[in-house]
Amino acid sequence: MLPATLEEAVSALSAVPAAVPVAGGTDLMADVNSGHLRPAALVGLGRISEIRGWSYQDGHAVLGAGLTHARMGRPDFAALIPALAAAARAAGPPQIRNAGTLGGNIVSASPTGDALPVLAALEATLSIAGPDGAHRELPVSHLLAGMDILRPSEIVGYVKVPLLHAPQTFLKATSRTGPSRALASVAVVLDPMRRGVRCAVGAVAPMPLRPLEAEQWIATLIDWDGDRSLAPEALTAFGEYVAMACIPDPLPAGPEENPGPPPQLPPAALHLRRTVATLARRGLGRALA
Amino acid sequence: MTETADGHTGAGGAAPLPGARGEPDPHGLGVSVLPTDSYAKAQGTFPYAADLWAEGLLWAAVHRSPHPHARIVSIDTAEAAKMPGVLAVITHEDVPGDSAHGRRIADQPAFARDVVRYFGEPIAAVAADHPDTARLAAAAIAVEYEVQEAVTDPEKAFESEPLHPDGNLLRHIPLRYGDPEATGDVVVEGLYRIGRQDPAPIGAEAALAVPRPDGGVEIYTASTDPHTDRDLAAACFGLPPEQVKIVVTGVPGSMGDREDAALQIPLGLLAMRTGCPVKIALTREESFLGHAHRHPTLLRYRHHADNAGNLVKVEAQILLDGGAYADTSSDALAAAVSFACGPYVVPHAVIDGWVVRTNNPPSGHVRGEGALQVCAAYEGQMDKLAERLGLDPVEVRRRNAMATGDLLPTGQTVTCPAPVAELLTAVHEAPLPPLPKDAPEEDWLLPGGPEGAGDPSAVRRGVGYALGMVHMLGAEGTDEVSTATVKVSGPVATVMCAAVESGQGFDTLARQIVQETLGIEEVHVASVDTDQPPSGASGRGRHTWVSGGAVERAAKMVRTQLLQPLAAKFGMSTELLTISEGKITSYDGVLSTTVAEALEGKELWATAQCRPHPTEPLDEWGQGDAFVGLAFAAVRAVVDVDIELGSVRVVEVALAQDVGAVLNPRQLRARLEAGITQGIGTALTEHLRVAKGVVRHADFTAYALPTALDAPDIRIVKLVEERDVVAPFGAKAASSAPVVTTPSAVAAAVRAATGRPVNRMPIRPQAAVSSS
Repeated sequence: MLPATLEEAVSALSAVPAAVPVAGGTDLMADVNSGHLRPAALVGLGRISEIRGWSYQDGHAVLGAGLTHARMGRPDFAALIPALAAAARAAGPPQIRNAGTLGGNIVSASPTGDALPVLAALEATLSIAGPDGAHRELPVSHLLAGMDILRPSEIVGYVKVPLLHAPQTFLKATSRTGPSRALASVAVVLDPMRRGVRCAVGAVAPMPLRPLEAEQWIATLIDWDGDRSLAPEALTAFGEYVAMACIPDPLPAGPEENPGPPPQLPPAALHLRRTVATLARRGLGRALA
Repeated sequence: MTETADGHTGAGGAAPLPGARGEPDPHGLGVSVLPTDSYAKAQGTFPYAADLWAEGLLWAAVHRSPHPHARIVSIDTAEAAKMPGVLAVITHEDVPGDSAHGRRIADQPAFARDVVRYFGEPIAAVAADHPDTARLAAAAIAVEYEVQEAVTDPEKAFESEPLHPDGNLLRHIPLRYGDPEATGDVVVEGLYRIGRQDPAPIGAEAALAVPRPDGGVEIYTASTDPHTDRDLAAACFGLPPEQVKIVVTGVPGSMGDREDAALQIPLGLLAMRTGCPVKIALTREESFLGHAHRHPTLLRYRHHADNAGNLVKVEAQILLDGGAYADTSSDALAAAVSFACGPYVVPHAVIDGWVVRTNNPPSGHVRGEGALQVCAAYEGQMDKLAERLGLDPVEVRRRNAMATGDLLPTGQTVTCPAPVAELLTAVHEAPLPPLPKDAPEEDWLLPGGPEGAGDPSAVRRGVGYALGMVHMLGAEGTDEVSTATVKVSGPVATVMCAAVESGQGFDTLARQIVQETLGIEEVHVASVDTDQPPSGASGRGRHTWVSGGAVERAAKMVRTQLLQPLAAKFGMSTELLTISEGKITSYDGVLSTTVAEALEGKELWATAQCRPHPTEPLDEWGQGDAFVGLAFAAVRAVVDVDIELGSVRVVEVALAQDVGAVLNPRQLRARLEAGITQGIGTALTEHLRVAKGVVRHADFTAYALPTALDAPDIRIVKLVEERDVVAPFGAKAASSAPVVTTPSAVAAAVRAATGRPVNRMPIRPQAAVSSS
């Protein structure tokens, strides 16, 4: 089935509840080809032109869920939402970026989805189309955390992202120089209007993590009316704060009244923590530079 | 390579080969003759086994063990057999011949009977009318297991319950050379670990089996050792080898023994059972599970040297994880123990090598097996020794470098050219790549990639050196022989030889040899099947040496047959006649005729064999003339390391290699570049992850091969052409020496950049982080 509008797509899904929507197919088709998934029918979203671009609304960009990574990586998009463009450019080889979509990245909700920490840091909102013209909005973090899920026949239509007109960064640590899955990633966005720093860490947990305390602390140190610079020590402290929040020390093993020595994290986890600290420090440093 | 491939090239006549732009194709030895299959491969028309088709074919699927170690209580195939579209379900009960097979000892069951010993071991197979039906039916086979504890630590294999009736120790070589009590002024120690590299052929395994009216079967597959595969299969089928024919199809990438017998044995049985052609094409995940991997290895070393840096003694303990079955592990161990000291003169050596059975994925022949693992250790030790003595790492290597006439610790004299010091000097003297600060206008590709997190202020550059050695052909008394036939008919020559073109360039080489010897430009190489006499497996330079030698002899015999009557007629010897561009001329120009005229409509055939000098097995103390020839390489790696993230990018690799003779410069360069790139993967990313024997993430997202961005600039500094007199053409094996040596050079460079010990491969990011 190849619907031409969101409405048609929702109707198609309502008519055949066992059908699975497919956009770029970069995650889905791998599962189909390997036999892990045998959908009764597919509803192709590729012909829905309304979700392949973006529009503006109340200081926000309303991004179509069908935007490909390749499109988001282009300079005009990068001028709007730099961190999302950087994440899109880092998301795999050109073949994947040409096919894979923003909405697909969200719905697949892979822990290593590169767009996800950026959307979490931007506090993006999803606009979801449902049967009979129903429509609801949902913070992206609620979907990623499983607090709310897509109901039968619902499709993510748009992603609403604030336009902050300030530097943003997305940094990703990988195991090789060529395209590969993130070992850890960090998105940092500045919100000068609200005098805030927002940060999200990807790939270290099933969903992007927000180190809220670290964000609030560092925002108080920044001279928002001045040159917004920070001392290197403050950047380092921010990195470590973020890393400790995302990869905390394990709780002591003993009983509460007599806790033993805290168990040591394994070397791989310590390295991951150091990686997150480095990425957060560099990410904020570059955003403020 | 195959007739079909040639047909495709012919069909694509509108797109001529690059050499045909008005100028003649280059031909003969020592020039870059083009492969005939390049266009078909680039255009996607080259037929691989996965592309084969037969009228009315069925599809096979294999039921594999979900446990690394378990007792099989029962196997119930009733559900699967009842499914519509399923024509046959077979298990160990349906193997008419030998129940077990193996390349060295027959210890591996065709189908597991009462025990499974590795994750993914075949238990049953299904033939059905659709690939999905076959897979669903294979999944519907109900096997009841009694799960056993998996032995996954090779060090524990010695003490644990035997995993196999033959016991857990596959082979032990205690090599003793010189005085075991000798000691040096300085001693350095190290513990090294090498991971499980997958050969990761770019095309996964596939095969088509067609039953024959005489009760036999023909199997079309990309085997690189067709006769051995045929013999293993025939024994399991309970048939004489003549009734089983393996036809070799296009080989989509090969780093070792291309197909595992677990593919063709079930397939052949299904074809004979159903009377229909049966095809199988493995998924990438199955491919990761089924074929042999590089032996994960643990190496404990102690080097003794005098204060001047001359090696006195090497003590080493080398433990190879052989996986559940023997396969060719004993060969890997022989190479590891024999080359444990590297291309260095060592007066005394005490080396113990073991290969043991575990419940880990299978290990076997992967380019440079054994030699690669020990190279990582002895080169790590040379760096340590240099540091201890305050010497330059190049200097300490130069002082100990082996030369022709020196002895291996096996007691064998190195009789072939061994220009080790010359190679080292060449890479050492090559100019270093500029630092980015010297060329700021050029984009600096930081570790982590173009969209990565690299930061120039945290990047440190390191330079490291390594020397490596490999042996050519089979070792320890393997009978190496190849037979080739050359036919001349009209202006066209044809070569028939069972040497498989696996990407190493044999077909092009065979054409070059015939062009050179007979002066005939148009040479076809026939496709390979097991009705031809055996030529041995691809690898270790075998087909350049043994098969190339056979082709040359056959071509010379044809030359004599062609020229003898003419020479007799004119009263001169055949040596005074030359053939060039299809014309026969005499030295004095009196005689001038064409090959076609001289043939007088006849076809000339000649068949010849080449059999290199024999070798002997290593004795109980690891002594013996076990190798036909050796090849050496020196590598210098330059790396950039982000010392906060531990990400590494190899900036440049400089290679100097002892190649004997360059027979096709372009092809040689391609092989060397490929070998270096594979070595980068070994050093940095390639390791198949296993948790308690269960393979994790068997896909190319998790198993990170080097990409174009990971491949460094490659500088081939020197190719030493000192001909090995016993080898036809004097050429040495080219591909495996850079595979073996590059990882150690990368490790040395990371050591230099970070000051960290780097004793594990692949090098994990946490091992490359540094505070300086």
